Amino acid sequence: MIYLDNGATSFHKPAAVGIAVAEALRRCANPGRGGYEAAMEAARKVYECREEAAALFDCQPEQVVFTANCTHGLNIAIRTLLKPGGRAVISGFEHNAVTRPLHMMGVNVTVAGRKLFDWDDTLTEFEDALRRGADAAVFTHVSNVFGYILPAEEMAALCRRYRVPFILDAAQSAGTLPVSLRALGADFIAMPGHKGLLGPQGTGLLLCGRSPEPLIAGGTGSESARQTMPDFLPDRGEAGTLNVPGIAGLAAGLGYLRRTGVNTVCRREHRGLEECVRDLRRLGVRVFAGEHQAATVSFVPAGDCEDTAGQLAKLGIAVRAGLHCAPLAHESAGTLDSGTVRISFGYDACPGQNEALRRALTRCPSLRG
Amino acid sequence: MRNHWLVTFRSVTFAQKGERLLRNRGIDCGLRRTPKELSDRGCGYCLRIRGQDILNAVELLRENQLYHGKTYVLDRDGRPEEREL
Repeated sequence: MIYLDNGATSFHKPAAVGIAVAEALRRCANPGRGGYEAAMEAARKVYECREEAAALFDCQPEQVVFTANCTHGLNIAIRTLLKPGGRAVISGFEHNAVTRPLHMMGVNVTVAGRKLFDWDDTLTEFEDALRRGADAAVFTHVSNVFGYILPAEEMAALCRRYRVPFILDAAQSAGTLPVSLRALGADFIAMPGHKGLLGPQGTGLLLCGRSPEPLIAGGTGSESARQTMPDFLPDRGEAGTLNVPGIAGLAAGLGYLRRTGVNTVCRREHRGLEECVRDLRRLGVRVFAGEHQAATVSFVPAGDCEDTAGQLAKLGIAVRAGLHCAPLAHESAGTLDSGTVRISFGYDACPGQNEALRRALTRCPSLRG
Repeated sequence: MRNHWLVTFRSVTFAQKGERLLRNRGIDCGLRRTPKELSDRGCGYCLRIRGQDILNAVELLRENQLYHGKTYVLDRDGRPEEREL
């Protein structure tokens, strides 16, 4: 199988990830709950992962809160900064992981910046919305549908200027673009562990620039005599037993990234993207590509998107079709009715993938309707 | 200074951060559970540090905002006794 659905999850992980998961299952008990060797080994594994993440994202180890996925982290962050009836500014390319919690809480949402690959529009609209007043801003670093890289640094600077706390959704950028909690001055940055960070599914990170409101309460292995959650990080955001095998695998994925370099991964992925965009244009389909694009590209075939993805799957190519859990992004780009077929490259991008994709696309009846 | 001291922390993460800091500066220490009688809020971890290193260790922990002011010296029978440093 040629796997080109890295926007959903990275699939062919570095070998060290699986080994670390198996090793943790064999050697690790519950971290922070005991003093015997297996508990201490678990604590060492967890701290190793915190340190790897802190080094990659320019923060302190205790600012790294483990979550089940990016959505989990976003929910914690959103519920910390916003209350029902509050005002939030979001970009026009947000995932349901952002829009659904806001909707569920009854937050008044202003959508700012809806033109694809257009930083001027994004920044102008975003600043206008902040100027009108907001309790918080939530924006994605990279659109999961179109790969549009939003001007996160400039948007962060605007938030700081207007004193609006903000959350960065780094679901598609963590591990493939530089992200710094310190430099951005973010209140929170949420990310999955299983996409660009190459860890197992069921892992995620919430980088905390401030203390979060706990989404759930329970045991933390600290201050157990008290009935209130600890007021310090990371314990305040980590009630219950951690996913130690997953975290050990995530540490291995982060270690791979440290040794390889995020910039190297980014260049490799981008070469795959550029070749793919050229091929798609030659085939005459509607391609969404532009400046400021990560290694994800969407296209609309003449026929049905799901049919196209289904035909590609039969030919051994894994891509995703539909709305990609981001109807707002489709509304912005005018693809809400059709959906798109999404191709997303990963750390293992290579020319052979595009060659196989090219061959398969020419054999897709639904590509040309 | 007597042979061994304990420095307590509010969580295992801070104890680990302290352990890493001290080891990086060449100060040997051991991470362990805090004895129950020293853990008034329940559950915790501490670092066991040699007497010859305790002053440097506390200074480093203070500089890095990891010191919460609880330090204990261990007597000959291993019983901890709180000391201010």
